[in-house]
Amino acid sequence: MTTTASSHRQIAPPALEMTNVRKVYPMGDDEVVALDHATLTLGSDEIVALLGPSGSGKTTLCSIAGGLLTPTAGSVVVGGQDITAYNTKRLAKFRQETVGFVFQSVNLVPFLTARENLLVVNELGRRTGKQQARSRADQLLEELGLSDRRDNLPSQLSGGQRQRVAIGRALMNEPELVLFDEPTSALDTHLGEQVMQLIRSEMKSRGTAAVVVTHDERIVHYTDRTVRITDGVLHA
Amino acid sequence: MQGCPHAEDPSESRTGLTLMFLALKEMRRAAVRFGLLMASIGLLVFLILFQQTLQSGLITSFVGAIRNQSAPILVYSVDGRRNLQGSVVTPDLQNQIESVPGIAQAGKIGQGTFSVTAGGKLTSTAIIGYEAESLGSPTTLVSGRLARSKGEAVALASSAGDGFALGDTVTVEPGGLALKVVGQAAQIGYQASPTLFTTYPTFEQAVHAANPDARAPLPAVIAVSPVPGITDTGLAARINRSVPDADALTRAQAVASTPGVDQVQQSFRIIFLLFGLVVPLVSGLFFLIVTLQKSSALTLLRAIGAPSSVLVRSLLLQVALVLVVGIGMGIALYAPLASQTIGSIPLSFQTGAVVLWSVLLFGLGLLSALVAVRRVLHIDPIEATTGAGLGR
Ligand SMILES: Nc1ncnc2c1ncn2[C@@H]1O[C@H](COP(=O)(O)OP(=O)(O)OP(=O)(O)O)[C@@H](O)[C@H]1O
Ligand SMILES: [Mg+2]
Repeated sequence: MTTTASSHRQIAPPALEMTNVRKVYPMGDDEVVALDHATLTLGSDEIVALLGPSGSGKTTLCSIAGGLLTPTAGSVVVGGQDITAYNTKRLAKFRQETVGFVFQSVNLVPFLTARENLLVVNELGRRTGKQQARSRADQLLEELGLSDRRDNLPSQLSGGQRQRVAIGRALMNEPELVLFDEPTSALDTHLGEQVMQLIRSEMKSRGTAAVVVTHDERIVHYTDRTVRITDGVLHA
Repeated sequence: MQGCPHAEDPSESRTGLTLMFLALKEMRRAAVRFGLLMASIGLLVFLILFQQTLQSGLITSFVGAIRNQSAPILVYSVDGRRNLQGSVVTPDLQNQIESVPGIAQAGKIGQGTFSVTAGGKLTSTAIIGYEAESLGSPTTLVSGRLARSKGEAVALASSAGDGFALGDTVTVEPGGLALKVVGQAAQIGYQASPTLFTTYPTFEQAVHAANPDARAPLPAVIAVSPVPGITDTGLAARINRSVPDADALTRAQAVASTPGVDQVQQSFRIIFLLFGLVVPLVSGLFFLIVTLQKSSALTLLRAIGAPSSVLVRSLLLQVALVLVVGIGMGIALYAPLASQTIGSIPLSFQTGAVVLWSVLLFGLGLLSALVAVRRVLHIDPIEATTGAGLGR
């Protein structure tokens, strides 16, 4: 398993190649530089922790890597796909097919059950047949320890359970890259560690790359590498 | 992808399924809320249709006698203000009317309100007498035959229960003139009273029975028909031009301009306008609120790659479903009531009104959802990344 993964790593393109990315937000007459000359490359199954204080540009970087935001300058290549010049429509398709998101706040559709929150991803993209999607969703929920919760609505789940459903949803489209924006910030230490363990095992078993945004130093133990960011500038 | 054994046509079925998936799942999870909306739309549609039927029944009971008689043109005296009860055509005026070229046939119509004993009770009854069968006889005979000789009458079918049934004899008071009901016609009411259609001589007898001292009555209107090649409107206009004291109206004009009809229609029009506004307002507001409430879920869906067109169509599918079910419920409520009699006003199922209101409300309802659609289109998926509401 390990040998296949590492030999695979040599052929597969990097999961993420950001080169000299700059993002400037207009602020009235002024501008805010949220990201400056950010260059970051992620191996095809690498897990990177993105560590930095509040307002340092972590979410901005993830949004650009995930095709939610276009950079002011620089280039973004995800899984060999250069998305720098994509328009809104192509970006939506890219997000649907190539990346997985776990956001800082809302992650689940309240009127869909845990299982349906996973299935809706397949409905949007229709990557596989209904039957395959169902068994994939059930398998993910099983791995995440949610088999007995699959028919519950988000409002009937605990914070940790919700976060695990969100992880399942992010993996449902078999992404090249998963972006976790502070996946543990709403959880207590113990639950946070459990969720990180889960993220690591899910990523590693699939050979999927991930960026895990945090300002918690302890998260670093679960990732392959740490990249620090302050005021929009990356440090190795 | 290529190995997929039952690969369907990718784009079409794909979005179709997503639409159903999202729209129906949400409606099922919020069944009470959507059910209440459908019920309120159903109730409003029922009220609209019911009012429409009531209006039509009311007007029919007032001027059904004019609408459902055979003369194409009725010539009133100008002083009569287009009212059978006020109009009197003198022999001189009658001569002037009948000398207008283009008239194929002319005949007198007389009308009066009489006290009549029917079924053992004294009631106020309209009697309308016509000289020629093709110029003033009822056209909606449902049983029996037209009145041909003295002492015969055709009665308003819906007053059969009040002693005006086929074969009944009613008596004009105080003179005691007996009239035998030889036929029944539907929707020939006049001024909301039981109505009898007789020949002109019978009408004259009735006037005499009511008031023995009265002179021979004058007709209320002269009914005329045009020669071939001239339209009803054309002949009416010609009569109005050449006889200043005459007021010639086609049947439809005579119905519409009978005093009271317009006022009734006007008041109902305001009611309809209000109802017509309330339905789209209710559905439009409902969907706007629902959309605002779930905007974070919609933002999430956009962020994970849902095209806005899918979300918009999912919304429109819900709107359409709610409207169809709501309107259907309204019609289902209305149908059994439409054949009842409210007081003395017989109602009837108004297919035209049902179709018109269904289409109109469906269209307006969809239009009203545009506000919610606008909200959906303005969702920016980037907002899914902001940590707002997390309480950090
Ligand atoms: N839409 C925007 N308009 C203007 N400025 C913005 C916008 N979004 C972010 N910023 C600014 O860009 C900078 C980086 O923001 P970002 O959200 O990426 O930080 P972050 O590292 O994710 O912070 P946190 O840990 O609080 O989530 C901040 O100074 C922020 O105020
Ligand atoms: Mg952030």
